[in-house]
Amino acid sequence: MTARAGVAVAGVVLAAALAASIVVAVTIGPADLSVGEVWGSIASHLTGSETPLSVLRDGIVWELRLPRILTAAAVGAGLALVGAIMQALTRNQLADPYLLGISSGASLGAVTVLLLGVAVLLPVAAFAGALLALAATLALAGAFGRITPTRTVLAGVAVSSLAAAITSFVIFWVATGDAYREVLSWLLGSLAGARWDAVAIAGIAMLVIGIPLTLTGRILDAFALGDTTAASVGIPVHGVRWTLLGAGALLTGALVAVSGSIGFVGLVLPHAVRLLVGPGHRALLPLSALTGAVFLVWADTLARTVFEPRELPVGIVTAIIGAPVFAILLARRRSEA
Amino acid sequence: MRRIPLLVIPTALLLAGCATAAPASTPTPEGPLTLSNCGISLTFDAPPERVVTIKSTSTEMLLALGLGDVIVGTAFQDGPVPNEWAADAAALPVLAERMPSEEVVLEAAPDLVYSGWESAFTPDAAGERDELAALGVASYVQPAACQSAEQPAKLDFDEVFREIAEVADIFDVSADELLAAQRAELDAIEPVEGDLTALWWSSGTDTPYVGAGIGAPQLILETAGLSNIAGDIDMTWSPYGWESVLAVDPAVLVLVDADWNTAQKKIDYLKSNPATANLTAVINERFVILPFASTEAGVRSVSAATSLVEQLKALDLP
Repeated sequence: MTARAGVAVAGVVLAAALAASIVVAVTIGPADLSVGEVWGSIASHLTGSETPLSVLRDGIVWELRLPRILTAAAVGAGLALVGAIMQALTRNQLADPYLLGISSGASLGAVTVLLLGVAVLLPVAAFAGALLALAATLALAGAFGRITPTRTVLAGVAVSSLAAAITSFVIFWVATGDAYREVLSWLLGSLAGARWDAVAIAGIAMLVIGIPLTLTGRILDAFALGDTTAASVGIPVHGVRWTLLGAGALLTGALVAVSGSIGFVGLVLPHAVRLLVGPGHRALLPLSALTGAVFLVWADTLARTVFEPRELPVGIVTAIIGAPVFAILLARRRSEA
Repeated sequence: MRRIPLLVIPTALLLAGCATAAPASTPTPEGPLTLSNCGISLTFDAPPERVVTIKSTSTEMLLALGLGDVIVGTAFQDGPVPNEWAADAAALPVLAERMPSEEVVLEAAPDLVYSGWESAFTPDAAGERDELAALGVASYVQPAACQSAEQPAKLDFDEVFREIAEVADIFDVSADELLAAQRAELDAIEPVEGDLTALWWSSGTDTPYVGAGIGAPQLILETAGLSNIAGDIDMTWSPYGWESVLAVDPAVLVLVDADWNTAQKKIDYLKSNPATANLTAVINERFVILPFASTEAGVRSVSAATSLVEQLKALDLP
């Protein structure tokens, strides 16, 4: 079997795994619903007929579980995809989707709504914060001469730190009682609030930005060889870099706006997939996206069931799983080199 | 084990540059009072005369015992005091809207810092308890709020009344009248029949933070005759998933009204959210609202239960 066929098979397998994960995860939860009841409810919604369950139990399936799982799939796919792209564009293995200050900016936007009570929808404020942070990063990177990937990363670190500091200040200053709990949940990343509007936001972002991005593998492969080599192959390096960074940032901003800053997905999953299929981006991008989707669906299922009726923010689960996995990946890299 | 002699002139006064010192007084005829508070041993040679209160439970406890005069500063209050004490409360100096810093507390030259939350005694708030003690400032936490040690296994009114009596002892006043009134009010409460289920929603939105099995919310719900759906969780308050709420479909929703998370905001969320809008209690508007300050164990616990029962009677219950 050729390498390309192998990758195609892997893609089909992962897509099937994703579909299966969604199908199974929607039947799992603290409420005592049988598989038949869950799928009866979903089928009734899809065909427009009367639901076999009571309104409330139907609501558990259709208003709580299903949108949450679909959002998890979209967010996981997007974060892993953008993580892989960031790692390629900056030629830095530690890059993740939040590199350019995006998650810190989104957190600041979220905090203004959650704590300062600014009357804006939370996803809108988070997205606006993400874009502002991105603009600040690019402005800072360009302020001292030609923009290089290193300068951009460092500018991103500076903007992240500043946004995080302001966020912490607002929390300290304003948070009374246990208002900090809501903010903490957002900062760790949580899908508990994901309803159909979140599915729409994350889904449309993935459709409009994510899917085109998965097809940029050939360009990223050229980037991996260096700017000069990429230019010699005919790629307009600067334009492409900024387009991809901008698109990645927009996608991340949209995802973070509905899920908070879920960590480790964008950082670790591209590495794990790279171990299996090698560094070629034409395979890495779509497979990272699919793997990310499956991973986050299951991480969120764990988060909402393992301590039921209590719930964990999913960012805690991804960190608990992601950190050791990352350590293992690092150890393997060292032994290879 | 450490003693905190209140007769020692606090070094803190020198640090804070204040001139007044706590006046020396003779021990009461019965001798010094020793007690254990969140695992720390306290000795009071004489009743404290300059008290800084943090959170409403402590302020209201002292006002209820007629000790408003000893309060030299309040901090991080949770809302207006009940009308009966409003006049006394109006004159109390406010040290901070939120947690006060140690310097601000010491500037008021207290001999006791009485807090409704144990977390007030950290370095970035009022200061650690042993550090305050070394400066001659005693510290006392509302016992029901102890978390590091001696947390009540399950709060009941005997414990609530014991705490009132303990505070009265510290200040060498009588709690008999107050306790008699509280007991009378408690005995007069007729629990609602039917063992209805209830959710006590304190704060949080996407993942509600609810009253769980061993604290004041559980006590108040039980006294009113309600069954707490989170009652088997061995914590005072706990996060709780919406799916579990929907699965149980509680008959009544008790909503805590706090400045940072109002009852109206909770109601708006319940009604606008497609998942929760179909809860029986939301459709039938079975909401009971309690002010935050009355939901932590203290002198308002009995009246919270009374209010809960009154509001329940006005609802259309199954």
